[in-house]
This record gives sequence, C-alpha cells and structure tokens, in this order.
Amino acid sequence: MKLKGNKKYNTQRGSLMVEIIVASAIITMVVIAASVVAQKAVSLSRQSVHQAQAALLLEEGAESVRIVRDNAWSNISSLTAATDYYISFSGGTWVISTTPNQVGIFTRKITFSPAYRDGSQNLSASGTLDSQTSLVSVIVSWTEGGQAVSKTLQFYITDLFS
Amino acid sequence: MVNNIKNNKKGFSLIEILFYIALFAVLTVVVINALIYMTKSFKETSVHSDLVQSASIMEKMSREIRQSNNIFSISVSDLTLNTKDELDNNKTIRFVLSGSDVQFYEDGVLTGNLNTPNIQVTNLSFTEITTAQGKAIKISFSVSSTKDESDRVEDFYNTVVLRGGY
Repeated sequence: MKLKGNKKYNTQRGSLMVEIIVASAIITMVVIAASVVAQKAVSLSRQSVHQAQAALLLEEGAESVRIVRDNAWSNISSLTAATDYYISFSGGTWVISTTPNQVGIFTRKITFSPAYRDGSQNLSASGTLDSQTSLVSVIVSWTEGGQAVSKTLQFYITDLFS
Repeated sequence: MVNNIKNNKKGFSLIEILFYIALFAVLTVVVINALIYMTKSFKETSVHSDLVQSASIMEKMSREIRQSNNIFSISVSDLTLNTKDELDNNKTIRFVLSGSDVQFYEDGVLTGNLNTPNIQVTNLSFTEITTAQGKAIKISFSVSSTKDESDRVEDFYNTVVLRGGY
C-alpha cells in the first residue's frame, strides 16, 4: 500500500474503514442476537423451576382432598359445585375453605363438580348423578414475566370409607 | 491545488477517525455488556437446573412415604417410617437433614444423600397429619445452589398420605 500513490492510498483506507464498520456491525448484531437468546434461555429455565414447584403443589392439593375425604365424606359432599375453594393448613391438618391464600408466587384453588355414571356404572360426562363420587380439579396459577400461567390436575375422588 | 486537496482530505479523515472512535467505543461497550450478560445467564441457567433437579428429592421422599404403612418416629427434620421391601419384609427408612444434606437410611444403614453435592438443603420440615383413616405427612424444604452467589432459596412443598396404612 505504501508504494501506491497518495490518492489511491486514501481511497483504499476509506474502503478499509467501510469494511471495518461492516465487520463491527455484523459482530455487534451477532452478539446482541446471542444475548437475546441467552435472555430467553434464562427466562425459560426460571419457568422450569416454577413448573417443578407447581407440579408438587398440585400433588399436595390432590393429597389434601384425600385427607379431607379420609376424615369424613361429608366434608366433600357438603361443598358447592363450581365454587373456588382453597386449602390451608390449620390445626394439624388440611382444611378446605373459601378464603383465598397464596403459596409464595402460586395461587392454588380447588373446584368440585358432580360425577355421573352411565348405564354400565362407568364414569361419564352425563348420566345418573353419583353422590358418592366427585370430580376434583386442582389449579395452580402464577405469573411468569407478566403472563398468567396455570397447571391443572383433575381426578375423581370417591367415598371409600363410609 | 494539490496541496489544497491533500489538506482537505486530511481534515476530513480526522473527523472521520473521531467519528469512528466514538462509534467503536459505543459498539465495544454494547458488545462487552452483552458478553458479560451471556456469562451471567450461563451461570443462571445452571443454577436453575440445580434447583429443578432438587425437586427429585421431594419425588423420592413422596414415593417412599406413599408406600409406607406407619410412622416410626417423627421430628421436624428427622423422619423414620415402617415400610416393606420388594420381598414384603419389614424395613425402616429414615430421612434426616444433616448439615445441608438430606440423608436416606435403609434399616439404619446410610445409603446416601438425596441431594446432589451442589444443592444445599437449608430447611427440611415434616409434619404429621392424622386422619380418621390413617396418617399423612406434610413435607417442605428449601434449597439453594452452591453456584449461586445471590443465595436464592426456592421452597418445595408436598403432602403425602401413607397408602400402606389404609
């Protein structure tokens, strides 16, 4: 480059500058893109921690309904269908009430709906009402980066002990 | 004439160079920030994966408690249960918080820790629940990762009915 004329040298340096600018723009874009990916990865991995916690809370919700059933079936049969219930730990056992409560960032509610049986005594969506069985839904909800997320666990509970 | 052009060019490239230096400075700051953030987020995801893994402590405990038939002894962070092994022989299992590890004993013999070495269990608590038909145990524990500088603590909760007691 030194051997070439002054004019040529200047234009060459100019195009070199353009090249450097283009290169640095590309590098910057790549790094920014990578950091956006990293940001997404962090938020997803945080979400997976919450998912793991929520899964255990669902399990606890199901077990608490079983505990309440074990104490007396009337505890379950007296509940109103399609009403949000919440569980709380008081007096050394789980109690179902309508008072909302939170576990950390999670809200756990339980709803009960009637269960029906068809002609061959199988559980079905419609048919004759089985007053000794109840369809239970445990719903754990929380917010994840401003968005509401929820997990549901549905099961039947039946009057085994009376 | 030639001199004039040369001078002109020189002045122009000086401004240019100043502009480039400023631009590169800004770009460097952006890039370095992004790189620092990426290193941090790499650590963060590995902390999160440790925390997710610690849910398996709860899974192991729930599975064992569910199969048990009675509580032998219970205190806040020490639980011994009567259960049966695969050949239907009686055996006892014990979960105890020792330091920051959850230890698992079978028939009084330590079989190992339920947590991985990079998970610290800071709190473990068992509560007995008695129902008209049997017993249940409410479990809660808090964990943090040893890799985590901010010492974040995550709580896990569960309740398990002793099915063997029915």
